[in-house]
Amino acid sequence: MTLSEFEDMMDSCVRCSKCKFIPQLVIQSKRFSSVCPSVDFYNFHAYSGGGRMIMGNAYQKGRVEFTQEMLDVLYRCTNCGGCEVSCKWVYDLEPNEAIHALRVAAVENGAGPMPKHRKYIELVERMKNPYGENPAQRTSWLTDDIEIDASSDTLYFVGCTAASRREEIAIATAKVLNAAKEKFRIMGSDEQCCGSPVYRVGDEKRAIQIMKENIASFEQAGIKRIITSCSGCYNMLKVEYPRFVEHDIEVVHTAQLIESFLKEGRLELVKDVPLKVTYHDPCHLGRMAEPYEKWEGEKIEVLTLVYIYDPPKPERRGANGVYDAPRNVLKQIPGLELVEMERIREYSYCCGAGGGCKSAYPDFALTTANERLEEAEATGANTLVSACPFCGTNFLDGIENRNSSMKYYDLIQLVLQSIGGEE
Amino acid sequence: MLEKNVYESFKKIVGDQFISQDPAVMDTYAFQWCNEIESAQRGEEPQRFGVRPLAVLLPASLEEVQAIVRLCNEHDVTFKAHTTGMGPWAGVSNLRSIQIDLRRMNRILEIDEKNMYAVIEPYVTNAELQSELFRYGLMHHAQGAGPQTSPLASHTSFVGPGFTSPYTGFSGRNVLGVEWVLPSGDILRLGSYDYNGKWFSGDGPGFSLRGIMRGWLGAYGGLGVFTKAAIRLFSWPAPKDWKWKTGGTIPNYDWEVPPYWQLYVLNFEEWEEYQSAMYELNDREVCMVATTSAPEGLAALFTNTKTEAIEAIFAGLLARTRNYIVVLVAAHTRREFEFRAKLVKLILEKYGGNDLIEEGVITPKPMHYGETVRNMLGAHAFRFSNCFQSTHGGMDTISMAVRLAQLNQPVKQKYIEKGVIGDDRGLGVWITSYESGHMAHMEVPTVYDPTSVKSCLGYAEYQDECNKMDLDQALGMPFFIVGDEVHEFYAERTMHYPDWLRKIKASFDPKGLSDPSHYVKGVKKDK
Repeated sequence: MTLSEFEDMMDSCVRCSKCKFIPQLVIQSKRFSSVCPSVDFYNFHAYSGGGRMIMGNAYQKGRVEFTQEMLDVLYRCTNCGGCEVSCKWVYDLEPNEAIHALRVAAVENGAGPMPKHRKYIELVERMKNPYGENPAQRTSWLTDDIEIDASSDTLYFVGCTAASRREEIAIATAKVLNAAKEKFRIMGSDEQCCGSPVYRVGDEKRAIQIMKENIASFEQAGIKRIITSCSGCYNMLKVEYPRFVEHDIEVVHTAQLIESFLKEGRLELVKDVPLKVTYHDPCHLGRMAEPYEKWEGEKIEVLTLVYIYDPPKPERRGANGVYDAPRNVLKQIPGLELVEMERIREYSYCCGAGGGCKSAYPDFALTTANERLEEAEATGANTLVSACPFCGTNFLDGIENRNSSMKYYDLIQLVLQSIGGEE
Repeated sequence: MLEKNVYESFKKIVGDQFISQDPAVMDTYAFQWCNEIESAQRGEEPQRFGVRPLAVLLPASLEEVQAIVRLCNEHDVTFKAHTTGMGPWAGVSNLRSIQIDLRRMNRILEIDEKNMYAVIEPYVTNAELQSELFRYGLMHHAQGAGPQTSPLASHTSFVGPGFTSPYTGFSGRNVLGVEWVLPSGDILRLGSYDYNGKWFSGDGPGFSLRGIMRGWLGAYGGLGVFTKAAIRLFSWPAPKDWKWKTGGTIPNYDWEVPPYWQLYVLNFEEWEEYQSAMYELNDREVCMVATTSAPEGLAALFTNTKTEAIEAIFAGLLARTRNYIVVLVAAHTRREFEFRAKLVKLILEKYGGNDLIEEGVITPKPMHYGETVRNMLGAHAFRFSNCFQSTHGGMDTISMAVRLAQLNQPVKQKYIEKGVIGDDRGLGVWITSYESGHMAHMEVPTVYDPTSVKSCLGYAEYQDECNKMDLDQALGMPFFIVGDEVHEFYAERTMHYPDWLRKIKASFDPKGLSDPSHYVKGVKKDK
């Protein structure tokens, strides 16, 4: 949808401020009541989901033009979708989608994205990854004891962060897959960015081009199933790709796969992992992971001014994210105790890295990571676990920054420990 | 735009990152729910964008607020305080006005368990305060605007009925003291704060300023800035070790209902029986909640989505629902619960009613108990069209509320037939009582479509007709007396009270710098 198609929705915001908080019923304390890292850090209403919808509306109506400050407001948002979950408790509005549409409009206008984003987009185009790493080094994480089956129609899509910044996740994933005797191949130096960092900042045209190239390359390689250890890649391949490029490739996250391996007895968690952990739901594996379902139908006025969709239109409220799989895996690890934070599942607090914030607004990203770490520490856990290399990177930066005694592991690393795969 | 030197002076007070004059940022304060109705009432094109402030400032302390107000005095800039902001009364009305967003002042400063009060800053929300009070076995009065709004804003500046009003009254009754930056920049501490540090009374010692500060309606932020408030607390009827626990996934959460709680929907065929039962329930102080809406409203109260509400309506709820009271009995002990529950049954029998929950017409889930006490049910009315607003809204007697409901029905029906407002057969009301049934609040929630010019214009016309009805039929002063002209509309038949409000405004704000917005201006208008 374009920004103009959101106009009625933007006109309907009642500016109630619910978008700043987790759903009101689940608030258990003042300390952890908020859901929006952006308004927490910058405070002006413009930095909330509703505020950005109003900005979009003002732009759409020709009341304002993009200024430097407006662009900062627009891009100092992790696009985490927390606002939308809270808004939809009552309203039929999609603030997170409207924010994305405003970013697309900013790019089309030539004002967006921000300089740091432009720089990494250029790197994605030239080097196939936003870090500017040599594509030939994409597989440098591979160790000799990892078995790859080049003939498999299952692809482990490593992702840019695991391939070049968080290699331990790529290694652990491959070793766990080997242990479960799950055959897989990798794209090697041909693997390119999933397009997430490009798409999230509104450069939709380039992102769609990347999606098309990737799907063509998967199809050419005969890929039927993609495994990803990155929530951002999962979201793109599972949720965003089908909106723009048709494909019938199954996409599965390692958390889901491990859960099924355990059910099928293909993995055994035997080693004690004596940690008290709390789990952080990555936005892109949680509330943002609900697939868009194609819907065709009509809007019917059933009571005066009250409309319903016929047939019912599938709602994306964050209810159907991947929440239970990682928890079910953690609960089966011997010696490990799982405790929950106050903000979990569809109302989880974002790590702060997404939406282009880690590159363009590192202070904001870091403060947000620290806020989440404080919540993790408040549970009494000594370890924070998640299932996304990008969340992990930001948390590790936060742990270092606040000199925290908290450890951080990706879920797959703990699984590897528990199957004895690190020996 | 503010003069550069003035803007720079403001910036020095709050710091670079807490001031903005960017047009897009300003528009997020200019845009307010119901501006489209007020603009339509003024004969303009309906729209939610109102007056854009010249700057928004985010002070962090009393001292910063005072410095801002003093600077406003120095440079003739009007100002308006703002908390979560929902409605045109939160915005500015003057073209040379700044907005003081109090978001950074968000601390709960004190919870005095023994003396049952809390001292809060402006941006503490109802849900936040409530969540912290449970561990003390306490609760506060939360206004119907919702759990995400500011109790300080309501206690100091707005009427403030809520779902627990039979037990907790309304906002104006519960303010025990304030720290108040007057329009001149002087600080006034109202209540007993200066004498023993304990906020036990909003009125003493000496003569009371509470009526001047807010009276019944509140000054809607048009008489300075409140930076602290002490508010009255109430016993929370649940064991102290009970915790607010939720589970499940949106929109079907679980909630742990405290042990001695029970919801009823007491339904009466005629208004007369309803009225007698409402009086008696309140006179006997049986319940924490006693609230009434339309049959369509009942469908919205105890469902989780618009679709579920509509399904309930078409499943026959309307045919079996007449004039009902949603009653929540919440007791501390089993004996207390049994006594209250028995009393509810006796009152129901005495007036020939039936319990719609017992009969399976509607079934609240545990989470709806939680939503009731978290003051979330009012927002369910937004589900139908993303929008509603209320007409009328007097705080008078229960019988006045019933009379108003009856008189309003054909008027509302007329606009329903025009297709400009939502169809509740004209029955849509919200009634709740206060103070042992001595008083009741009644407003008429009305669904309209904010994206339709026709609907906005139609609603505005309906609102005007309701205001006139209040005057002609002596139906009590309406809830939304918003602004100088609406106050004046009622003046002749109400002992010219706006003249006195204007004198108060002029005395406390001689330069007229506290943006009157929806309060009165300091000078009497020419007739």
